[in-house]
Amino acid sequence: MADTLEDLEDLFDNAPCGYLAAGSDGRIVKVNQTFSTWLGRDKSELVGHRFQDFLNIAGKIYYETHFAPLMRMQGFFNEVALDLVRSDGSTLPVLVNAVERRDESGELRFIRITVFNASDRRHYERELLDARRAAEKANADLMELNRTLEQRIAQAVDARLRSEWALYQSQKMETVGQLTGGIAHDFNNMLAIILPSLNLLEKRLAKGEDVGRYIAAAREGAIRAADLTKRLLTFSRRQTLAPETINANQLVADMSELLRRTLGETVHFETVLAEGLWYIHADRSLLESAILNLSINARDAMPDGGDLTIETANTHLDRADVAGQGVMPGEYVMIAVRDTGTGMTPEVMAKAFEPFFTTKGVGKGTGLGLSQVFGYVKQSAGTIKVLSAVGRGTTMELYLPRAIQASGLPRSVAPARLAASGAGELILLVEDDQGVLSSTGRALRELGYEVIEAQSGREALTALRTQSKVCLLFTDVVMPEMSGLRLAEQALQIRPDLKVLFTTGYASGDEDSPLLDAATNLLQKPASLEELEAKIRDMMDKKS
Amino acid sequence: MSVLRRNNVKVIGSGAKAMVFSHGFGCDQNMWRFVWPAFADRFRIVLFDHVGAGGSDLAAYDPEKYSSLDGYAEDIVEICRELEIAHGVFVGHSVSSMIGALASLKAPGIFDELVMIGPSPRYINDGDYTGGFSEQQIHELLDFLDANHMGWSRTMAPVIMGNPDRPELNEELTNSFCMTDPDIARKFARATFLSDNRADLPLVKARCLVLQCSEDVIAPQTVGEYVARMLSNSSFVLLSATGHCPNLSAPQETVAAMQDFLQDQAEKPMLGDHG
Repeated sequence: MADTLEDLEDLFDNAPCGYLAAGSDGRIVKVNQTFSTWLGRDKSELVGHRFQDFLNIAGKIYYETHFAPLMRMQGFFNEVALDLVRSDGSTLPVLVNAVERRDESGELRFIRITVFNASDRRHYERELLDARRAAEKANADLMELNRTLEQRIAQAVDARLRSEWALYQSQKMETVGQLTGGIAHDFNNMLAIILPSLNLLEKRLAKGEDVGRYIAAAREGAIRAADLTKRLLTFSRRQTLAPETINANQLVADMSELLRRTLGETVHFETVLAEGLWYIHADRSLLESAILNLSINARDAMPDGGDLTIETANTHLDRADVAGQGVMPGEYVMIAVRDTGTGMTPEVMAKAFEPFFTTKGVGKGTGLGLSQVFGYVKQSAGTIKVLSAVGRGTTMELYLPRAIQASGLPRSVAPARLAASGAGELILLVEDDQGVLSSTGRALRELGYEVIEAQSGREALTALRTQSKVCLLFTDVVMPEMSGLRLAEQALQIRPDLKVLFTTGYASGDEDSPLLDAATNLLQKPASLEELEAKIRDMMDKKS
Repeated sequence: MSVLRRNNVKVIGSGAKAMVFSHGFGCDQNMWRFVWPAFADRFRIVLFDHVGAGGSDLAAYDPEKYSSLDGYAEDIVEICRELEIAHGVFVGHSVSSMIGALASLKAPGIFDELVMIGPSPRYINDGDYTGGFSEQQIHELLDFLDANHMGWSRTMAPVIMGNPDRPELNEELTNSFCMTDPDIARKFARATFLSDNRADLPLVKARCLVLQCSEDVIAPQTVGEYVARMLSNSSFVLLSATGHCPNLSAPQETVAAMQDFLQDQAEKPMLGDHG
């Protein structure tokens, strides 16, 4: 019996958990050795105190607010996680169970409190918690990512667009540089014709010699300069095309002299023109430009000289011929420019028609030539074929559709008659550029007209009100403040019978007006004196 | 969501005068089970759970509203308006004592008497004022709640409808009476233990009873005395019961003190009644 009691005492004292018994007032009456050892306190220090006295502050509060009420209501509580405070101040995580022990009459005998060491368990819980927090954070990040995905895509796209725009801008600047260099080069070439001619003209005039060919050369240089500006305007789509019925043989023959001089002495130039060549419907000056362009390219491909042949032929393109070309099968006039130069690699051929692509050095070409030719031919419902191989020369074949109605009008070349055609009629000349105003004024006076010069629409209207003899209003279209069209409207209110002639370097949307008819009352800038004279005379002779 | 459903309001009895019981931090309306029956014959008993506790609607928990005791006081005012309570008795345990005081200030006239069991207007010591806890201790408590969330939330985990009448149904439930959402309880602890309502005490017009336990670590005797002193019309009773929940540990003593207080009132007609 005594052994049994000793055995039980040993079991109580040395069980792997803390055992306490508390009275109905909550004060500890008995505590085992395990608990005493855990807390580092002698049993005598524990008896008489309440269990919660040995909890940390949170445990005290929770014990009072949560677990003491639970005990009162249900007579027990299980597995409550609390922290005990040891005598050295450190804490011991524990799980606590408590239960009321009552006798048969229901009287409370004591409260049994069982305490488990929960250090390991708390450690695992913390790891679990950390893992869960990490997972929750990852999840939150993911949701955030999802939520902002659209916005981030928009930002990325925006950034991409911006960098593309920046790239585009820098490419544009590069292009503009190249273009400017090319234009300067071309202009210099033209001035190289004009200036020496004028110098020689001056000298020969002083000596009283024949100066006709210097004048002609200077004029040709100026005409080519005007052509260049025309091409530039075409490129910027500010000039409307003027297709007409053309005999390509005639056109090539007309260009021969120019081409021969352009190509220089090292290039042997010849033409092979088909008999009975069909007419084509095309813009004359642009076709000339195209041929000139191709010829210059050919020349540049033959730095040591060679043969350049321009050939014309009537051809029939069948379906196979036009496959992938975007044109209809049918009858075409072919104009081929063939050289015996360096030829092109397939890579260069592939890029040859791209705008601004050039194999020439900066300042040697605009890179616009071939792309312009290509654009022009396409616009004329034609196509181009390129035959080339490195070392074996290049042939560029332009195919332009046959014009069904051949008008066969010979190109009229105005005779250079500079006799005054004016009869003293009064012209009101309006131009915002002072230089152009006075030179045009001089030219008109030269032609025998009287001229009132006005630099703005306002000035012009004032003059019109005081000068009843004005019979023609000759005005620039594009002017600041009041456009030529607006001026014409108001002028016609003052003088309904007034004749109006417009002049412009552009063909912008402004000209879409019932007052303006390109065929009758528009003079394209720059105009030669002959063109000016003819146009003014037409206007003057017209019945209002 | 009706207010009555939100706060799981139970109305018992049909007395002319209402007696509203408001539980404190850590429990729910179950904590009044040994007290309210003593008053059911004369009073209309109103029991409820604060949002986040017991059978309240957890979805109604608005962290901003309930970040201070004001939000809980608003709920009490709403419950009283819904039940058309005027001149009632408010019985609050622990932090609910202050919540009731705030409600009486928000809606004067709903309560003529406030019974405060273990009240504290501020838990943290402040100069000459002794709240019972140092600032560090309260932050230790709040840190413990944050850090050991799982440890104690498991303790609170069986957030399942308690069935006090049939305990066998809850056999597997460790602690079924104090039904608390652990996350909300954490925030309620913050609102409670960081509150400071000392300035509100002198404004309270209702007649108050302060019931103070012996050896209460949450609301020490000095705090109860301070509350009684600052209130303009109060009685102070020191119970022999120890701990923080005399309504559970010593219901008879608690009921008796309340009856004395209310009896007292019945025998002394309000001056205003004849004035």
